[in-house]
Amino acid sequence: MNKYFLGGLYSLLALIIISAFAFKIFQPIKVLPRMQLSPAFDLTDQSNGRLTSEDLRGQFVLYTFMYTHCPAPCYNINETIQEVQSRLDEVELDGIEVSFVTISFDPDRDTASALQTYADSINADTEQWSFATTTNKSLLKTIIGSGFETYYEDKGDGSFAFDPSFVLVDGWGIVRAEYRYATEVSNADRILRHLGVLADEVRNSTGSAKLAYEAAHLFLCYAP
Amino acid sequence: MKIKIIISTLAVVLGLAAGFYFFRPHTFHGTVIQSPEPSFDFTLTSMNGDVSLSDYRGKLVLIYFGYTFCPDICPATLANVGQALREIGAKAEDVQLIMISLDPERDTPEKLAEYVAHFYPSFIGITGSDEKLAEITSLYGIFYEKHEGTAATGYLIDHTATLLVIDREGYLKLVFPFGVTTEEIADDLKYMLRQ
Repeated sequence: MNKYFLGGLYSLLALIIISAFAFKIFQPIKVLPRMQLSPAFDLTDQSNGRLTSEDLRGQFVLYTFMYTHCPAPCYNINETIQEVQSRLDEVELDGIEVSFVTISFDPDRDTASALQTYADSINADTEQWSFATTTNKSLLKTIIGSGFETYYEDKGDGSFAFDPSFVLVDGWGIVRAEYRYATEVSNADRILRHLGVLADEVRNSTGSAKLAYEAAHLFLCYAP
Repeated sequence: MKIKIIISTLAVVLGLAAGFYFFRPHTFHGTVIQSPEPSFDFTLTSMNGDVSLSDYRGKLVLIYFGYTFCPDICPATLANVGQALREIGAKAEDVQLIMISLDPERDTPEKLAEYVAHFYPSFIGITGSDEKLAEITSLYGIFYEKHEGTAATGYLIDHTATLLVIDREGYLKLVFPFGVTTEEIADDLKYMLRQ
C-alpha cells in the first residue's frame, strides 16, 4: 500500500509543478502589473474648476504631461490621445468610463484660460479630456516627478526638457502601465489593448476566477 | 488487485484535491501591489521624537492616514487593526501600525499618542507640517480636504480611508479598502508574517 501512497504523492507533486509551469508558459490570462499608487492631487482645470484624484476614482485614466508652448508635434502626445479617444468603441469597457488628463508643468503660462485656449486649438473634447495644473510648483514636482515618475526641467529660456510619458491608472488609483518612449509610432494600439485587459480583469476577476487572476499576477503574466 | 487499483486511484484524486487546496496561492483580501521600488520614506514627529518609515525595516508596517477628531471611519479601522493584532498573538510584535494625522493643528504628538494607545499599545501616532503632509499624502495616493462640521465637532477632514501595508523590505505590498474586516486583516498579515 505504501508504494501506491508514494506513487499518488509523487503524481500530486508532479501535477502541481506541471500546472504551475503550464500557467506560466501558456499564460491563459493576461493582466497588467499593479505598479504603484497613483499620486493624489488637487489641480485647477481649463474651466477654472477643481480636478482632484478622487473625482477620477472608478475610471480608467490616461495621464500625460506637457506644456502648451511645446512646439508641435510635441512627441505626438495629442495625436495619440485623440486616436485612443476616437477608437474607444473597439474596447469592451462595459460602461467603465475612460478619462484623459494632461497635466501642465508650466503653471506660470498655462493658466486656466490658456489651457482652455489650447484645448480649443487642438479640438480637444474636454468632456473627456481635462487639462490641469497647480500654481504650487513644489507640489507639482512631487505629483509629476515623484508620483508619476516623469522627468521635466525648466530650461530657463521658455522651454522645458521632459519625458513624453503616458501613464495608465485604474479605477482604484493604481498605476497599471507606463509608456515612456518618444517614437514616431503612436502608442494608441498598445494603450487600447491595455484598456481591454483592464476591463477584462474588472469584468472577470470575481468569485473563483479571482484566484486565477491573482495567479496571473503572481506568475507575472503581463500583457505585451 | 482491482480493489487496490480503485483505492489507489481514489487516494490520488483525493490527494490532488487536498494538494490543490492546501498548496493554492494565498488569496489576499487587500489589493496586491508589485511595486518595483521601495515606498517613499518619510520622517514625522511623534511624542517621543522623529519617526521615519525606514526605522521599521524588518517589520510589517501598516500606515493609516486619519485624525483624532474623526467621528467614525478612523476609530473603526484602528479598532479592527488592533483586534487583528490580538488575534495574531505573539507574532504581532513584528507588525507596526503608524497613524499619520492629517490634522496637525489640533493633533499634538501627545494627543495622538494617547489616542492611538486606546486601540493597541504599540500603535504610533505622528504628524508634521502641512507641506510635509501634502507631499507624503500625494505620494501615498491619499486625498484629503477640510470642510465645515458642526459647533460640536469643529471642522472635519474628508480623506481617503485606505490602510496600507509595507513589507519587511520597505515595499508597498497591500492596500486594504475601507470596510476590511478584522479577520481579513489578520489573514493577510499572518500570511505575510510567514514569508
